[in-house]
Amino acid sequence: MDETTAFEAVRSSTLEVLPELDPAAVTLDGSLSDLGANSIDRTEITTLAMERLDITVPVTEFHAVRNIASLVELLRKYG
Amino acid sequence: MTRPVLVTGLGARCSTARDVPSFTAALRAGTCGIRTVDGDALDPGSHTLAPLDDFDLDTELAALPGVPAVLRRSASRAARRSPQPVRSALLTALEAWLDAGLHTAPVPGDRIALVVGGTNLSSRYVFEQHSVYDRRSAHLAARYALHVQDTDHVATLSQVLGVTGEGCVVGASSASGGAAVVQAARLIECGAADVALAVGALGRLGPLEWQGLATLGALAVPAADGADGWVCRPFDVDRRGFVPGEGAACLVLESAGSARARGVGGLARLTGYAQRLDANSLSDPSVAGEARTMNAALSRAGLEAGALDYVNAHATGTPAGDDAELAALRQVLGESAGRPWLNSTKALVGHCLSAAGVLEAVATVVQLRAGFVHPNPALRRPVDGALRYAGRTAETARLEHAMTTSFGFGGFNTALVLRRC
Repeated sequence: MDETTAFEAVRSSTLEVLPELDPAAVTLDGSLSDLGANSIDRTEITTLAMERLDITVPVTEFHAVRNIASLVELLRKYG
Repeated sequence: MTRPVLVTGLGARCSTARDVPSFTAALRAGTCGIRTVDGDALDPGSHTLAPLDDFDLDTELAALPGVPAVLRRSASRAARRSPQPVRSALLTALEAWLDAGLHTAPVPGDRIALVVGGTNLSSRYVFEQHSVYDRRSAHLAARYALHVQDTDHVATLSQVLGVTGEGCVVGASSASGGAAVVQAARLIECGAADVALAVGALGRLGPLEWQGLATLGALAVPAADGADGWVCRPFDVDRRGFVPGEGAACLVLESAGSARARGVGGLARLTGYAQRLDANSLSDPSVAGEARTMNAALSRAGLEAGALDYVNAHATGTPAGDDAELAALRQVLGESAGRPWLNSTKALVGHCLSAAGVLEAVATVVQLRAGFVHPNPALRRPVDGALRYAGRTAETARLEHAMTTSFGFGGFNTALVLRRC
């Protein structure tokens, strides 16, 4: 899976959970927390991204995710 | 001496109305929200019900007049991802909150209580998520552990409204709404709260609940000949079962002292209430149980049954249920059986299950205040001619005292007595 596909899944999931965001604000070098996502929002965004990509990432793997770039990387690993 | 309990705010949403003003107009017009809804991928069966069409929370928040921006943002943030029952409860609670002026003349959060009536509210949500889980378990909704709990209603409403007093869900089957009002009133009377919101929550039926109710033979099925289109016919010789409805409602109850201190007038006074069990786990009603409950509520109100001007009956349109309630009313009213107006809101909006007790209390307050009795347009031939039924069109009536009842499977009975302020 290429980076663009994984990032697009994260971006569209983020905008679904936080619709008031400026779409341009979601970038690879940002973090979901900085965009105003609480811990439940972040879990929901990652679940929706998995669903969009039709993949399963073990839940324990997400503990190491610190920003959007590492989330995208993790999704690609399982894609 | 207990503290007098006033109703200071109302909220309602159902198949015929998005708020109390439109509910009032729909009641007066006798608008019926019952229709046959085609199946979908999740539930292929078509059902006869009074549905609350799904809606976008932000659109509905914008349509609710006078919501302060901060409250609108907080409501949207808390519940836009929530299942429809929670979004519906939040909108009706917000409407009632504004109606009570709690945004302009506030009460400290820890003096406000929140009682939500209704259990098993996420049946359809669970069923929806089951198919997601079966396909790929990791894709289960991330908020499932929160949203599957009935208490999510209390949690979401408390967050948005800043309620930090007591809060819980109460369940009494189809009498859950009535039970919520009873518990909210008690919290005020004993001084645990100055304001208590009683919310009747919407429980959307999933395919299993539809099948289960059909199995019990409780559901009305449209007549094969389509006889005049009325499926839900409370008190009529042709009554043949109940029609589920979807709706949510909220009553703001408040101590008279708190309302006075805030400069807020009461819409009605809750003068009496009662909840009684039948000691029966089955779905059959009890004339004795219903009569005991009505008498207990009237006794608490210090009111003779003959002084009632209006009874908003539970009356779902099932033969056994209607007959038991009519017999109980005959017993309670005695020689005054023909005095109070009698109707059933379920003929118009279906049986809104957990929400019914609160939605029908709202309907009762609305009629007390506006001085009318909404029609029961499906009634052509009453099963018991001794009572004074509402007719096919609204009746203008000066109403002072009213009673509204709710009964549920498993021997739950509630009765509320309300007086016009």
